[in-house]
Amino acid sequence: MPLVATDALVLHAFDYLETSRILRLATREFGVQSVLARGARRSSQRFGTALDLFAEGVAQLDLRPGRELQTLSGFEVLRVRPGLASDMGRFTAAAALSECVQRLVIEEHAPVAFDIIRLALDGLTEAAADRVVPLTVGALWELVGELGFAPALESCASCHEALPAGEGAPFSHAAGGALCARCATRAPGARRLPAAAVVALQEWVAGRRPGLVSDAEARAHQRLLREFLGEHLLDARGLQAYATWEQGRWS
Amino acid sequence: MSAIDDLTTELARLPGIGRKTAQRLTYHLLKQPADQSRRLAQALVTLVDTVRTCTRCFNLTEAPLCSICSDGRRDGTLVCVVEDAADIAAIERAGEFRGRYHVLGGRLSPLDGVGPDDLTIGALLARIPEDEVTEVILATNPSLEGEATALYIQRQLAPLGVRVTRIARGLPVGGDLEYADGVTIAQALQARRDM
Repeated sequence: MPLVATDALVLHAFDYLETSRILRLATREFGVQSVLARGARRSSQRFGTALDLFAEGVAQLDLRPGRELQTLSGFEVLRVRPGLASDMGRFTAAAALSECVQRLVIEEHAPVAFDIIRLALDGLTEAAADRVVPLTVGALWELVGELGFAPALESCASCHEALPAGEGAPFSHAAGGALCARCATRAPGARRLPAAAVVALQEWVAGRRPGLVSDAEARAHQRLLREFLGEHLLDARGLQAYATWEQGRWS
Repeated sequence: MSAIDDLTTELARLPGIGRKTAQRLTYHLLKQPADQSRRLAQALVTLVDTVRTCTRCFNLTEAPLCSICSDGRRDGTLVCVVEDAADIAAIERAGEFRGRYHVLGGRLSPLDGVGPDDLTIGALLARIPEDEVTEVILATNPSLEGEATALYIQRQLAPLGVRVTRIARGLPVGGDLEYADGVTIAQALQARRDM
């Protein structure tokens, strides 16, 4: 494949050898890509001085099919997000978002997924403390839906019978969503969600961002999402950045 | 595995050295006088056996205290916090700073699983009253993770009543404004000062 240019944002960056960096980029056209930015720590000509975590811009990639590590030929930084480092809650939430995006394995043309991530980071950059959890959890639920494994909320995840609107429901991660009363008896691990939680999930998956009433509600949604992702991610590794955010240890 | 393969494998683990270069270095060492290769081997053994971290600032040293911490002419009330020992050499080259240092051993990174307990933040907090420190300069890198680390340390230091400052960011000396990127110019404008 020839040299391509695509919108991209930096999900993870770490130093490689004396002068280079390896980056994980979310791109609009080519999913999540690992790239080598040769000389990025030394030269500012090709990559600018702000090729940092959560920076956004236009990446020039030398994409070779089958390679795990592609070559970054240039990166025009258009937006950086220093606001994410001005609050530990925002910083850890952005890291958790980035970790989940990398683990959700987006390999192809995914413009909607790219915009979900971009807008979530924009929102987090200036988010008040009580908006950090709904913004992050909401973006991840929307992303989960966009990638095709949104939880069933309107009908039973097991028998597909319509569920009564405006009511709470048992929720099974293994089954993939809410259950009717009959199927719930055969799913002993199901967690009972109150009506407000079901509505919040529906709103988030649809791309809307309702707020949450209390800290307890926020913690419950963080836990629910972690359990759901843990059930559906391809590998069994834990989510360490998510755990740091959820436990709020650095705030 | 033969001695040649063994050394090639070990050399290839070094940064910037691939398998082919490692092989060339191995054959070069075999060609040169044996004494020269023995001196290299001895230097490596000595390095590993004698270099450790300073008990006060975590800089690299061969003595319990590094040369900066044991220098009575340095101002012990002024402490510059850096991510790695290599950063000390960079600041020392500037020749402007006469205080002492504290090496964190990295920066906070949730994505890499590096938290406060993995850094020497606890030792820094203990140094403040012990060394009667009056100012802490946070010289972590101006990256997002470096900024978050500085913020975290600033919050931890706040109850101790010590002055906390952050190194400035902006245009490089001798640089050309026309070729500076927008992010750097924006930060230079934010950090402008009266003349």
